Amino acid sequence: MIPSRKDLPMLAALVPATFVIVAPFLWLIISSLKTEAEIGVGDPFALPDALMWQNYVDAWSVGGFADLIGNSLINVAGVVLLMLLTCVPAGYALSKIRFPGREWIFYAFIFGLTIPVQAIIIPLYQVLTGLGLINSLTGIVLAQVSNGIPFGIFLMRSFFLGVPNELTEAARIDGANHFQILTQVFLPLSMPAMQALVIISALSTWNDFFLPLVVLISPDVQTLPLGLVRFASTYTTSYRLVFSGTVITFLPVIILFILTQRRFTEGLTQGALKG
Amino acid sequence: MASKSAIPERVGEAAHAPPTAVRTEDDPTRDSYGTAFALLAPAIALYAVFSLLPIVATVGISFTNSGGFNTEAQFVGLDNYVRASEDPIVWQSLLRTFLWLFYHVVLAGGLGLVLALAVSSLARGKVFFRTTLFLPHLVSLAVVGVIWANIYDPFYGLLNTLLASLNLSHLAQGWLSDPFLVLFSVNVASSWQGFGLYMLLFIAGLQNVDPTLYDAAEVDGASAWQKLIHVTLPGLREVLTFVVSLAMINGLKGFATVFVMTNGGPFYASEIITTYIYRMAFQAQDHGLAAVLCIMMSVLAITITVTFNRWRARGAT
Repeated sequence: MIPSRKDLPMLAALVPATFVIVAPFLWLIISSLKTEAEIGVGDPFALPDALMWQNYVDAWSVGGFADLIGNSLINVAGVVLLMLLTCVPAGYALSKIRFPGREWIFYAFIFGLTIPVQAIIIPLYQVLTGLGLINSLTGIVLAQVSNGIPFGIFLMRSFFLGVPNELTEAARIDGANHFQILTQVFLPLSMPAMQALVIISALSTWNDFFLPLVVLISPDVQTLPLGLVRFASTYTTSYRLVFSGTVITFLPVIILFILTQRRFTEGLTQGALKG
Repeated sequence: MASKSAIPERVGEAAHAPPTAVRTEDDPTRDSYGTAFALLAPAIALYAVFSLLPIVATVGISFTNSGGFNTEAQFVGLDNYVRASEDPIVWQSLLRTFLWLFYHVVLAGGLGLVLALAVSSLARGKVFFRTTLFLPHLVSLAVVGVIWANIYDPFYGLLNTLLASLNLSHLAQGWLSDPFLVLFSVNVASSWQGFGLYMLLFIAGLQNVDPTLYDAAEVDGASAWQKLIHVTLPGLREVLTFVVSLAMINGLKGFATVFVMTNGGPFYASEIITTYIYRMAFQAQDHGLAAVLCIMMSVLAITITVTFNRWRARGAT
């Protein structure tokens, strides 16, 4: 990348600022390859004499990261699938079908958009306990989907509202029912909105901490952020393990983001601006 | 209620409708009622059980002495509200929540705006900087807590070892043990994670500022600063109010970094409303008091959302 001459004064400020912002990542990665004795001594950004890849092997097995990643993947897959299955049809019904009470149902969903999940956690915990869903990935998926539904419906509805009604009416005259219109006409059209919904719900589920902390009690069902916090508080004195374990949790997402960054950024921005 | 009033209306409508075959067959309210509910049913069922019911139940719990060992919770009237108003930690945690919101809006919102302006001004390399600067937002706030707890570690942490290697050891601090510093230190960690999304939103907003306005300002001999104040910021007003409200709501929901880094300590010095709710609900098992805090939190969230929506609606006209 050859910088433009006009940009040089701005780059003089932006490059150091960018370095400061990514410094925590660099420091963690460098420290994660050091021996215990080398951490915290001398220049924090200096590379160690020998790269200790063994730290990663140790952290992986000691921290049980294979299970944590597996649980997180199941969690994300469940949420994304259920979000699509609930929000796409609901968004269609609330924008393209006219029926009495439509606005009230929409407002009831929008109301949920303003209530933080922490503010309903006591009865939510009781409901999950009552249904036997505490300490289960099914329970966490249902709670997270319910929490995400207001945003998902809002997003899909705004998108469908932008599709001309003539399209629905023409299909109706051709004898199609609403299920057919939704699956054959609207699904192919709504790829950008669904992409935004998938990206936003996948990222927020992968990173969620509060609900898993309350719902997922035993280590074998825990997700990655919760598992890392437990790992870090168990091995407080073993910095090399904590550092390499931390890198294991964020590196996959960062690589995935860099590979898909244009779509990712677009989906996230459009989703947030609509929602 | 809606269905009762709707049915006679529809019958009447059909009776008065012109007798054309197309009109009755295509009447959109006629066959859609069942279809609409079939499409809405999965969302409504989940949302009713796991969101609406808990919202209503929270209000109910706030009037009872429900707790971990109380199998039969009793109605206690406004007792929990009185206890909440007399609990100094409630007031302190509320005050700290406001301070936390303020820090987050200024640090994360401000950094997002400044970096968006810088990145957008580049002729080349926009995507590189936008992508790199966004990286912290991909990390879970709980993991951010683990990372920054290590950055602030008094002995092995990045901050104090960096200061030592620059011969500035006298600036080293107990970043998380000093009660006057701790809330700010933890907020820096949260804001480091949060600014990336705000930056993306500002970059998107900047693309919508009419470029001819800059040309006009140029012709009028405006300085870079004048262009920023008179063209860029007014053009960003809608995104600006949106980001401020989003940052306030995100700040209000802040939990993971505090929980992981300090657990509200030392001596409640970083206790905010969410950590106090968690402590009351799941450790002290005082559900009544926790429910009062939950209602306060919801009222705050609704107030922020409604205020900003009004503000934006007024700005749009």
